[in-house]
Amino acid sequence: MKTCGGFKRTGRILVGVALLGFCAEVRGDAIAELFHQGVEAYRSGNYTGAVSAFQAAADLAPSGGIMQNLGNAEWQAQQVGPAVLAWERALWVDPLERSARANLRFARKAAQLESPQLAWYEVVSTWLPANAWGWLASVSLWIAVGVVLVPHVFRRPKAGWHQAVSALALTLLFLSLPALVGVHSRARVGFVIAKDTPLRMTPTEESQFLGRMASGDPGRVLRIRGRYALIRTPRATGWVENVQFSTVSGRL
Amino acid sequence: MIGSGQSTVERGTEGLASAPWRDGRGARGVVWGMLAGVLLGGWGARGQNPPMMDPLMSLMLSQPRIDITSEVRATATFDPPLVAPGEVAIYRITFNALEESIDLGDKLPAPADLEIQQGARGQMLQMLGGSLVPLSGINFRVRPTKEGAFIIPAFTAMVYGKPVEVPAARVDAVANAPGSRRRHQLVLELTETNLYVGQPTPARVYLAGTQTGVVLPLSQVQLTGKGFLVDQGTTGQRIIQITRDGVSAPTFVYDTTLTPIESGNLSCFAQAFTSGLQLSGPVVVSGQMMLQGGLPSNALLESDPLAVSARPLPREGELPGFTGGIGIFVLEIPKLATNSVQVGEPVRLSVTVRAVQGNLARLVPPAPPRSPDWQILNPSSENAPPQLIQARGFTTFDYTLVPLNTGLTSTPSIAFSYFNPKAGRYVDATIRSAPITIRGSAVPWDSAILSATGTPPPTNEPDLRLSDLTANQGRASMSLLPAQSTGWFALGQLLPGGGFLGLWLWDRRRRYFERHPEVLLRRRARRALRKDRRAWKRAAREGNAELFAATAVRAMRVGCAPHYPAEPRALVGSDVLDVLDATEPSDRTREVVRKLFSATDAARFAGEGGPQAELLKFEPDLEQVLEQLEARL
Repeated sequence: MKTCGGFKRTGRILVGVALLGFCAEVRGDAIAELFHQGVEAYRSGNYTGAVSAFQAAADLAPSGGIMQNLGNAEWQAQQVGPAVLAWERALWVDPLERSARANLRFARKAAQLESPQLAWYEVVSTWLPANAWGWLASVSLWIAVGVVLVPHVFRRPKAGWHQAVSALALTLLFLSLPALVGVHSRARVGFVIAKDTPLRMTPTEESQFLGRMASGDPGRVLRIRGRYALIRTPRATGWVENVQFSTVSGRL
Repeated sequence: MIGSGQSTVERGTEGLASAPWRDGRGARGVVWGMLAGVLLGGWGARGQNPPMMDPLMSLMLSQPRIDITSEVRATATFDPPLVAPGEVAIYRITFNALEESIDLGDKLPAPADLEIQQGARGQMLQMLGGSLVPLSGINFRVRPTKEGAFIIPAFTAMVYGKPVEVPAARVDAVANAPGSRRRHQLVLELTETNLYVGQPTPARVYLAGTQTGVVLPLSQVQLTGKGFLVDQGTTGQRIIQITRDGVSAPTFVYDTTLTPIESGNLSCFAQAFTSGLQLSGPVVVSGQMMLQGGLPSNALLESDPLAVSARPLPREGELPGFTGGIGIFVLEIPKLATNSVQVGEPVRLSVTVRAVQGNLARLVPPAPPRSPDWQILNPSSENAPPQLIQARGFTTFDYTLVPLNTGLTSTPSIAFSYFNPKAGRYVDATIRSAPITIRGSAVPWDSAILSATGTPPPTNEPDLRLSDLTANQGRASMSLLPAQSTGWFALGQLLPGGGFLGLWLWDRRRRYFERHPEVLLRRRARRALRKDRRAWKRAAREGNAELFAATAVRAMRVGCAPHYPAEPRALVGSDVLDVLDATEPSDRTREVVRKLFSATDAARFAGEGGPQAELLKFEPDLEQVLEQLEARL
């Protein structure tokens, strides 16, 4: 009976793993289908349809290619702010996406938009995908711990390569810490996605306007209150409606 | 001048104080000094200007006094005094006091069948006898619900903190009341009552004169209600002939513009004082009319309320360059001050906008586009008065453009749109490009600065253009949120952390047992003893004497084993008794141990039959033995 119960448990785990794999496969197929639909719509000049398809694919699983194409479709649909946001997100997910970088330069020149001002540790964080820094720090930490602990537990003599690997892992860990901070603060950088977005003095509908921001202008979220976010732009600090502004990390 | 005079007097006084009186020369000097001091002091006093008064104080003092000391009198009337049941009359109370000082109490002492509702409330100042006499009017709309005479009795109001009696007034409600019209009926008319929020609409307030041509001018005209703005910049007053209900009469007309600023059903009414010859502001008169002389009878009039429905502007279909303009506008072809300029030389672009419908005076010009080839300054608004702009029917947007590059052939187009309320949609009215020639001479220094502050010169910059689509999706990510900000990432760190912690704890335990093997032996012995004890109890319950004896002996051996360096199977009864000696066992206990070992040895080595059933009665003694052995582990 005991053996039978063990088989049942193992069977359930295997079925669960198989189901997860099946779901992932189905999800991957859906994303590929949406991506294909977006490309077809873009090629036929249906930019609004392309935006819808790429956006749906990005909602399932954002990737550099999907975001890059979404930016192109938004630009063709005359949506400057969403296009800039999509290309920035493409670089957020994959900094090696050269097309997105070139398109951002092109869009900012054409629409006379500014780039967000980044601190040095934020610039460092742009060298790798935003998620990579967390994993790098994590893996480095546990490798350093493992290299110290495992030989001791299994009574192996300490070798030179143990120390070398440990030192390398700790170096990577300490180097990735500023980038981790950079990713955290860069996650608050966002862009205006609506045209002529008013920058308000207070988070109220009747508030006095400090000025208007063009679609695609950068800002940094400082605080959120209700349906308004306090943002700092290169020129002023004020409140905007949440629906008119979005960060690269999608927090807003 | 004041200082010089004073110092001269002081010098003269000092000379007097220090004069050597006995010296004749000194006495003459004193006299001359006093004379000079008096003369110079008088001259200094002549040059002294009167002190300047504070201009604000001067302005306040130059205003006539507001009379708030005279005896306050109140009048109360119904207009008209005769109505049909269900018709509205105005209950008008007038005080010669400031409006803010009047307190009528919480409720008027009105009869039960007379519905009463707050109406207009206003104040004006009359110039009488060198002072301004305040006149405040408070109106109530009353509606008798049945026939009869309705009297609002005299009651006391508080004015300037003192009681003032308001006299009684009577209104009669009679079915088919003849001529039940107000004496002076103020009328408010709007061109449209179904509006969009922000859509200006002309409003007209008028008061018809008599058929004999006598006109009653109005003052303090205002529209009362919530949710709209009245544009004071577009007001105008006229006296014209208007035919109404087939009767033509000279009529005082007050024109203004009303703009709803809230969506929903709004209500407003007009109110004004009849002012006689005391006109406020210019009035345009056309046709024949007569003004009544003498002291005016200032009465606070009000129109019937007017319902206005305001809808919000649709979000969908909004076009670039929308600055809030609602109406129908026509843009003329933009005009350039000159069609040939040098790089860096400013040129003015003028766009004339004409209005078929809408408020031109409040039309905001669109923001200039950002262009790397042009520096465009924000448009300047016209300085003409709003009334003039509205009257002439056009306004002009002036943009100042500075070309930054050569080779340009036209000015940039400027996005502009407005909302057409008739069609219910936004209309594109983009300011079109105008042809221009940019002469490519040397770049002036200020243009170089503009170029430097704009986009950097594209010297080695690659040709920027929109890239094509990417065929590769790229590596997908679970979410845009950084991994370290998610909860599952923190939970994922528990796996290696927990693994390493477990490994360390296991190693620590292992090393402890290596240093203290007796702990391990006793722990194992305790575990084996409990196991055999359970088996022994089971055998006792089943009445199996053989198994009872075997498991009991095995349990005793296991319990004693850690005290000897031998295998548990090699232990005999005396070994068990030696261990039990420390607990000073009874003779009965010793006998039980001996009998059990004897029975099992006999069954094992002598081949005798199984132990006798009488052994089962040793169960309580054996229980005690095993407890003592376990306690010693």
